[in-house]
Amino acid sequence: MRKVDLTPCIAVLVGGLFLVGAGCGKSIQANSGAKSFEPGAKREATSVPKTTASTGSGPGSSSTPSSKPPTAASSPREPLSSEPETPIPSLSTLDSGPGPFNAKKSDEQRVPGDLLVAKTEPSDMSRRQVEEIQREQVATAASGLEDVYFGFDSWQISNEGKQTLMVDAEWIKANPSQKVTIEGHCDERGTLAYNLVLGEKRAKAVQTYLTELGINANRLTVVSYGKERPFCKDREESCYQQNRRGHIAIRVQ
Amino acid sequence: MKISLVVLYLALLGGLIGIIESGAEDVFMEATRPDFQKIPIGIFGFRDGGDQDPNGEKAADVLRADLRRSLIFSVADLPKLGIRLNGRWEKDAVDKRLAQQASEQGISVLVWGKVWAKEADMLLDGYVYDGGSGDVVADRRYIGSSSVLRQMTHRLADELVFRYTGEQGIARTKITFVSEQNGGRELYVMDYDGYGPRQVTADGFLNLMPRWSRDRRFLIFTSYRERTKQHIDMVEIATGKRWTLISLPGLNITPALSPDGSSLAFATSQDGNSEVYKMDTNTKAFQRLTFHAAGDLSPAWSPTGRELAFTSDRGGGPQLFVMSADGSNVRRLTYEGDYNAAPAWSPRGNWIAHVCRTEERQYKLCLVSPDGQKHIRLTSGPGVDDSPSWSPDGRHLVFSSTREGKSHIYMIDSDGANLERLTSGGTSNTSPAWSPM
Repeated sequence: MRKVDLTPCIAVLVGGLFLVGAGCGKSIQANSGAKSFEPGAKREATSVPKTTASTGSGPGSSSTPSSKPPTAASSPREPLSSEPETPIPSLSTLDSGPGPFNAKKSDEQRVPGDLLVAKTEPSDMSRRQVEEIQREQVATAASGLEDVYFGFDSWQISNEGKQTLMVDAEWIKANPSQKVTIEGHCDERGTLAYNLVLGEKRAKAVQTYLTELGINANRLTVVSYGKERPFCKDREESCYQQNRRGHIAIRVQ
Repeated sequence: MKISLVVLYLALLGGLIGIIESGAEDVFMEATRPDFQKIPIGIFGFRDGGDQDPNGEKAADVLRADLRRSLIFSVADLPKLGIRLNGRWEKDAVDKRLAQQASEQGISVLVWGKVWAKEADMLLDGYVYDGGSGDVVADRRYIGSSSVLRQMTHRLADELVFRYTGEQGIARTKITFVSEQNGGRELYVMDYDGYGPRQVTADGFLNLMPRWSRDRRFLIFTSYRERTKQHIDMVEIATGKRWTLISLPGLNITPALSPDGSSLAFATSQDGNSEVYKMDTNTKAFQRLTFHAAGDLSPAWSPTGRELAFTSDRGGGPQLFVMSADGSNVRRLTYEGDYNAAPAWSPRGNWIAHVCRTEERQYKLCLVSPDGQKHIRLTSGPGVDDSPSWSPDGRHLVFSSTREGKSHIYMIDSDGANLERLTSGGTSNTSPAWSPM
């Protein structure tokens, strides 16, 4: 196969431009055992980005059309991070000046550092999510709620599925303080995008049936995970069947 | 245009290829045409600065691979043909005798150079001898840190492509993709040849279907940051700064920026079922484009920005449809098979790549012409092929496939030749998107 370049990460000083590339940061993480994941084996030593990365006032702010609050689109918009809000940069303008791909006519070119990538650190939000998922899994297992399964390419609830949901509905009625998430899942066949829509159809079919059984719709949240969070990863029908599922989960606040 | 093409062919056949300067931009070279005559090019290699690191060899390997992928050149193995530089690597290293030797083997373009260090810099000198003009036609020096040797070599490759076609090369483009990490899906970017993958997000949950901004500074994607909500977010690659662009209730997926960046098409289920919308990126105003009780998703812009292809299961299974950019003139595009999805319109406009389900129920890549008349299957074999995305020169596609078990990112020529795997680590690499030039 391909040659794997395992050159260790080296911080490089170039003519006053000092930066440790993001790839470098990752290697350090890998060495410290925090993360040992490398999606591609083909790796250069490290990248040395230029220092002209956007700073402070936010990217393209000069060309940002307006600073008025986002309209309809971004409904109640919680800040996604601790950073102060920055106007959404314009997507319809290109950077002025020679970009890295404008052919230069001079015979001598200085090649800047490779694409600068911010160092990635798991956010607090992601840690909270992981904890939340674990607590939900425990609560769901304890509740005894059962999942429903679907046919290939289908979002129809089978008679067997209806029996299951009737039992689930009794539990949900008996536990009025609990909120429930209905997750739609698909097997690995088909495209990622269409399976998200298919998963949502499955989740909504479950939601509709549960409301028909008298559950208040506002206790039921619907989410589709398509084929992104399979329960089983083997490539065979018994596994596919496991993954074509409407999963009923307890929501933990 | 035809005349210049003929002239070009004659020049090629006679080994008289001259330098085509920028005036040749209207020469449309469809490199995947079977009768296309590739330009024979010979690479002597790059002499090393003398240290142990085989940088010269590395640069030569990168250049050969870039030129092969350009589909413009056929790369000759000079040492195998007994054609060698005689210990000299300077600009005038190719003399009449050497040029004659190469010419007898039908090789009209010769490339050589040096990789060497000067203070903290690494330098790549590249020389190009052209048999047609009988002279060195390019003398390039690239200066940078030792970590960007591949990028310097990619520049030389792109320069060669530009000289001989008048078109921008793709050797410095990037590919974004999604990789599984700790059960989550995070965004990555890597070079177009699969080198140097770097992580962009670390949300710990799902980030799906990234797309590039025109200036390659941002990725636009579906984020499950709030787990039960799916927003369309944007991240600045260099800083990690995030914005939420679309947070309508329900599923907000398959973002697609129009060629001029003025409009972001996407699918949302705020109306109950998935519908295609677009948002004006300046005013942030929405326009609903599809009106159907079935699922409509995956909008893909034509290169002119006048039309959109999309997936809809309004006929039962998913099929491709085309509409005008204002949602009018909806017509069904695919009739072959009972599953066609994930459209990607080629930059030249002449094909729409997509995922098709074969009679053996395999999910493979297919091409359909925008008039629906021509239909070609591109890939075969086991596993699910998904998420095709065109190279900006329209000569290649990148896609994900489970053909070898785990999902990886692959590149393929637009005629189905030269399948090449780009990722090798990780548990699941999906949803690739090729950057603009």
